[in-house]
Amino acid sequence: MRRVGFVVNPVAGLGGTVGLKGSDGVAAEARERGAIPRSGERALAMVRKVHATDILFLTCSGAMGEEVLKNAAARFCTVFYHPAAVTTADDTLAACKKFLEEQAELIVFCGGDGTARDVFDAVGAKIPVLGIPAGVKMYSGVFAISPEAAAAVVDMTGSLDTRDAEILDVDEVAYRSGSLSTHLYGIARVPILNTRVQLPKHVIEEQDEERAKDAIAGFISEVLLPDTLYIVGAGTTTGHIARHLGLKKTLLGVDVIENGRLIATDADERTLLKLLDRKTEAKIIVSPIGAQGFLFGRGTQQISSAVIRRVGVDNIIVVATPAKCRATPLLHVDTGDPSLDARFPGSMQVISGYRIARRIEIGR
Amino acid sequence: METKILLEEDEIPKRWYNVLADLPSPMDPPLHPQTQKPVAPEDLSAIFPMDLIRQEMSPDRFIDIPAEVRDVLTLWRPSPLYRAKRLEQFLKTPAKIYYKWEGVSPAGSHKPNTAVPQAYYNMKAGIERIATETGAGQWGSALAFATMLYDLKCTIYMVRSSYSQKPYRKSMMQVWGAECIPSPSTKTRSGKAVLEKDPDTPGSLGIAISEAVEDAAAHSDTNYSLGSVLNHVCLHQTVIGLECRRQLEMVDDYPDVVIGCVGGGSNFAGISFPFAGDKMTGKHRETDIIGVEPASCPSLTKGLYAYDYGDVAGLTPLLKMFTLGHDFVPPSIHAGGLRYHGDSPIVSKLVRDGVMRAVAYHQNEVFEAAQTFARTEGIIVAPETSHAMKAAIDQALECRKTGNAKTILFNCSGHGNFDMTAYDDFHAKKLVDYEYPDELIRQSLARLPKIR
Repeated sequence: MRRVGFVVNPVAGLGGTVGLKGSDGVAAEARERGAIPRSGERALAMVRKVHATDILFLTCSGAMGEEVLKNAAARFCTVFYHPAAVTTADDTLAACKKFLEEQAELIVFCGGDGTARDVFDAVGAKIPVLGIPAGVKMYSGVFAISPEAAAAVVDMTGSLDTRDAEILDVDEVAYRSGSLSTHLYGIARVPILNTRVQLPKHVIEEQDEERAKDAIAGFISEVLLPDTLYIVGAGTTTGHIARHLGLKKTLLGVDVIENGRLIATDADERTLLKLLDRKTEAKIIVSPIGAQGFLFGRGTQQISSAVIRRVGVDNIIVVATPAKCRATPLLHVDTGDPSLDARFPGSMQVISGYRIARRIEIGR
Repeated sequence: METKILLEEDEIPKRWYNVLADLPSPMDPPLHPQTQKPVAPEDLSAIFPMDLIRQEMSPDRFIDIPAEVRDVLTLWRPSPLYRAKRLEQFLKTPAKIYYKWEGVSPAGSHKPNTAVPQAYYNMKAGIERIATETGAGQWGSALAFATMLYDLKCTIYMVRSSYSQKPYRKSMMQVWGAECIPSPSTKTRSGKAVLEKDPDTPGSLGIAISEAVEDAAAHSDTNYSLGSVLNHVCLHQTVIGLECRRQLEMVDDYPDVVIGCVGGGSNFAGISFPFAGDKMTGKHRETDIIGVEPASCPSLTKGLYAYDYGDVAGLTPLLKMFTLGHDFVPPSIHAGGLRYHGDSPIVSKLVRDGVMRAVAYHQNEVFEAAQTFARTEGIIVAPETSHAMKAAIDQALECRKTGNAKTILFNCSGHGNFDMTAYDDFHAKKLVDYEYPDELIRQSLARLPKIR
C-alpha cells in the first residue's frame, strides 16, 4: 500500500466569500457573516477522482479528513490524529508530523497559503506535498490546478519526480487593509505530473531537477563577468549557481556575489542600494517564485523597484528548470511601481539549461 | 500557369557545380586536428575514398557526374519545381513563390543526392562497409538506401533522442539492410566517454560523428561518410539548384530570393550555390540568398567565425566555420537535422563575405508556417524544411506590404510523414520556443581551440 497523508482545513476559504480576504483567526466572524465552508467539497471532489486501489489515506478524525474520505467511500483510510473540537493551525501541524512518522510518501492538504505554511512547518522538504486549492490566497507554488489534477498525482504517488515549490507567507492583517505583503517562507517539494511520462523515452529536455539545476549553474558560472555585482535571489536554482562557485548561499535570502566572492548574505534593500552606490556594473539573477511565476513582487521585497531601476531591466537574468518553466506559462512582475513594471519587455529569456534558454511571456 | 515545371530524365545535370571556382578569395584550409597544419589528401585517406578527397579539394568549376550515378538518380530526378499558387493566393501576395520538391526521393529528402555518389565512389575504391551518423534519420535512411544499391554494409550511429522519437526512420534503415545504433553507444571510445560523463544524454550530431569517424578509422575495410558540411557533399547537392535554374528558365523567370534551411548546410548549398555563383560572377548581382536556422542552434546568426572541430571528441579536421563550439549539445528540438554546432565552411564563408545571409526562427512559428503550407499546397513537410517555409512566407508577406512582385524560390527539402509526433506536440501547444542565450555567451566561446 502507498501511504498518503490527507488533511483538510475545514475553515479554509471561509473568509473569502464574505470579503475577509483570509481566514486566519477570523473563522468565527466569517461564519457569523454567513460564510459556508467549501474546502470539504473541494477535498471530496479530489478523493472521488482517485482511481488507484492501493492508496492508504492517513488522516484526521472529523471535518479534518475522515468525513470527506467516508463520503467519498475511499477504500482505505486510517485515522492517526484527533483534533480539538475547534480546529486550529496547530492541528494541521500536529497531524502532518504524525503522517510523517507513519511514513506517508506524500501529504495532500486542502486549504490556502496559510495551510501550506502549516504543512511546511511540519514536514519541510522531507516528503512532497500537494495542495488542493481551496483557500482565499494561493500565492505559494504547491497547489494543483484543480482537485482532478491533484487526484492524478495521488494515483501516481511514489513514481513521480519532484520540483521545488515556494511557500509564501502573506501578512493577512496588511492584506485585509488592502496591501499585499509577501515574503518567502520556505521551499517545499511538489510532485511533477509530467504528461510525457507515458511516451517512449521522448527526451525533449533535462527531466531531472538536480541535473537541470547543475546545467543552469554550470552555464551561469561560465558567463559571470568580473567586477560586476550579482544580486542573487532566493531559491535552490540560484543556490546551485553559488554552490558551483564554491559559495554557500542563503536559501531564502538575497545574496550578493562579486568576483567569485560572496560579499553580502541575506541582504535587505538598504544593503543592496548601498552596494549599488559604489558599483555601476550590476546584474540580478532570479528564478520565478510561487504559483503565479512572479519574478518580482512576491517574496522578493529586498529586490525593490529602486534596486531594479539601479541595475536596469536589461540586466536581469532569469533562471528556471524545465519543470518549473512548464509550471509557469507566464511570468509576472509587480514591483509596486507601475512605470517600472511597464518597462519590462513583453517576454523574457529564461535560462533553463547549459547554453539553453527559452522565451516566456510576461503577463500584463 | 503551370503548377509543376518538369524536366526530362536526360536533363538531369551531367556535371556538378563547384562554387569554390568562383569564390573571390580562397577558403581557409581545413587543419589536421593534431598538427594543426593544413590537411593533406593522405590525411583523409583513412576514412574517405580518393575520388571524394579530390572533389573535396578540387578547384574545377564543373565535375562530371558518373553515368552510373545519373542512372540511379533517375529513380526520382529531375525533381519537380512547383509554383505555389495556392499559397500565394492564401497570402494575398504579389510575389511568385516556387519550391523545389526534394521529398520525391526514396528516402523522402534531398539526402540521397549525395548518398548515392558517396556509396558509388566507396564501392569503386573496394570499400566493404560505411559508417556514418544521422540526426533525425534523414541521412541515415538515405545512406542505407544508397549502400544497398552497391552491396555495401552500412553502420549508422543515430542521435539517441531521434532514435526514440522517430522509430520509423530506423525501420527504413533496416528495410534497406543497414545496422542502426543509438548514439552515444558503448561500441566506441568516444561514445563510452560521453556516457560515463552523462548516462542520460540525449546525444547530438557532434557525438555521433565522433563515433562514426572512430569506427571507420579503426577498420581498414570501412570508410566514413558525412551527410552534410563538407565541400563534396555540398557539391553533390548542386543538382538541386542547377535543375531549378533550368526549370525557371522554362517559365522565363529567375529568383530574387533563394531560401533553404541550414543545419550542416547541404540542402541550402544545393539550391543556392548555382545562384551564388551567378551572383559572384556578376550575372545576377542582386539575388538575396537566405539560410534559415533554428533560434535554439543559431550558428550562422549568433556563432563565432573560427576554426573548430566538426565533432565532440575532436577527431575531425578543424574547419573554419560559424560555430557555437564543438561541445555544445543543442536542445532536442523536433528539427533534429538542424541540431549541429557548426556549418559548412563554404556556406560560412559566403555568409561571412555577404554573398548570403542567415535568419533564425523559433519552433512554434515554423510549425505554424508548415501548417499553412500543408493547408494550401497539401504537402506535410519535415520540421527542418518548415524553417525554409517560414522565411519564404515572411518574404511573401513583406511583398504584400511593399507591393513588390518578387520571385521567391525555396528548397522544400523533405516530407514530414514520420514527424507527426512533432505536429501533434505543436497542436497540443507543447513545443517550447528554445533559444540560444547569445548575450550571455560570448565569453564561453573562448573554449574554441586556439588557432591563429
